[in-house]
Amino acid sequence: MAVFWLAWTVVPLRVVFDTRVGVAGWTYDQSLLVVGFFVTLKGLLDTFVEPNLRSVVEQVRMGTLDFTLLKPVDAQLMISTTKTMPAKLFHVVGGVGLLFYASGQLPQPPSIGSVIWAFLLLSSGLACIYSLWLAVVSLAFFFVRIDNLSYVLESVLDAGRWPVDLYRGGLRFVFTFVVPVGLMTTYPSLALLGNLSAGDGMLSIVVSFVFLFLSRQIWEFALARYSSASS
Amino acid sequence: MKHFFRSLREFPALLNVGAASMVAYRAEMVLWILSATLPLIMLAVWDRVAMDGPVRGFDQGKFALYFAATLIVRQLSGAWVVWELNHQIRTGGLSSALLRPVFPGLWFAAENLAAIPIRLVILVPIVLLIWWWRPELASNFDAIYVPIALISTLFAWLGNFCIQWLFGSFAFWLGQTLGLYNLWFGIWALFSGYLIPFAVMPESMADVARWLPFRALLGTPVDVFSNRLPWSNVVFELGLQLFWVTTLGLLASFVWRMGLRRYEAFGS
Repeated sequence: MAVFWLAWTVVPLRVVFDTRVGVAGWTYDQSLLVVGFFVTLKGLLDTFVEPNLRSVVEQVRMGTLDFTLLKPVDAQLMISTTKTMPAKLFHVVGGVGLLFYASGQLPQPPSIGSVIWAFLLLSSGLACIYSLWLAVVSLAFFFVRIDNLSYVLESVLDAGRWPVDLYRGGLRFVFTFVVPVGLMTTYPSLALLGNLSAGDGMLSIVVSFVFLFLSRQIWEFALARYSSASS
Repeated sequence: MKHFFRSLREFPALLNVGAASMVAYRAEMVLWILSATLPLIMLAVWDRVAMDGPVRGFDQGKFALYFAATLIVRQLSGAWVVWELNHQIRTGGLSSALLRPVFPGLWFAAENLAAIPIRLVILVPIVLLIWWWRPELASNFDAIYVPIALISTLFAWLGNFCIQWLFGSFAFWLGQTLGLYNLWFGIWALFSGYLIPFAVMPESMADVARWLPFRALLGTPVDVFSNRLPWSNVVFELGLQLFWVTTLGLLASFVWRMGLRRYEAFGS
């Protein structure tokens, strides 16, 4: 299955670069890195983040979230770490495999320093995406039925399959700062290619901390409004 | 069959109920519609590619028209029977649906059709926005194709409905078929023209895809809308579409009836 979806992601890329050698400064092999980071990130999200947050929505509806809130541990920590979907780890394996393959196709292999940078940026991408999910889930406290909102988020994330330089104008801004898919997949790729300035790298990490902080605020705000099953 | 035609008379009433439920769940519906934004992302990508020069004769205006048409056809021909059937078969909700004197398929169909007004409310501003962004798309557009495109879209909806009915009916044996349907959706997206217009596909890919059922479910109406088919081909393409719709319909009704027999055997 993981192989099928990997191929699925690569086919449109292949078709686009079948007609062009380079688009917006990206070659096929370089764009493969972006896809590799996308698949890896999506795999991590599906394994560790999504099952947890989806179950929160269910718990809010059923009122069973009360049991979690009663425990003397931070609720956000609790709800974010109770479930995993190990089967989805195959996607991570596929994504990392693609990253290795694409790195091998590059004229010069990435240096240790750029690999560390890429890893850091991948982590900050994961932090951003986790924050977005947490913010979306917080909305469940107000609207209860929120399953479909998660589909919207997922479909916007699909934009991360392509280098962010392909988008222009307002879309570019949205994908860099609002739903930062650019930070999640393009920046780590640039780091591997050795084309990312330290300033941009730092900026990306700062943005991820801002996202973590903001989502924490939204979560606490939502929690304060939560009327549980009994109250 | 008699069952089916008798319930056809009740269709207007079903439409009314469907419309009412669309109004009640409007927020959820809007989110559903917004989650089908993939054509917009593909438009942005292809537009950037075409900025450096036309791709196999496709310039920015043609891509804009193509993906605007994709968005329209996708929204108008959308069905969600597979989710409904999966849910109803698993929870046993289907039993009460079967007790009603109306064929369950008609009820789902009425729900789909009743959603069209709310889909249009969201669709029209998005299409206008694309038009404003790429005014060139108008020069490729020919209104004379619209009636045929709408007929073709109707066929596409019938096809979508049948295929979802088919995958939904598998739930009689498997319990949960959404994963299977997702797989179908993935292959469909590649070969239907949803991500890659037929005119832009590499020839070897297009030659195969032309004869697969996926094109009938999206590519044909989109190509008619965006003026990509010569008149001499239109009749043939619509005929091919009708062939696939009939095939899928027969297949779906066969599997549905087999499954129903099994379902009843549970004594539920």
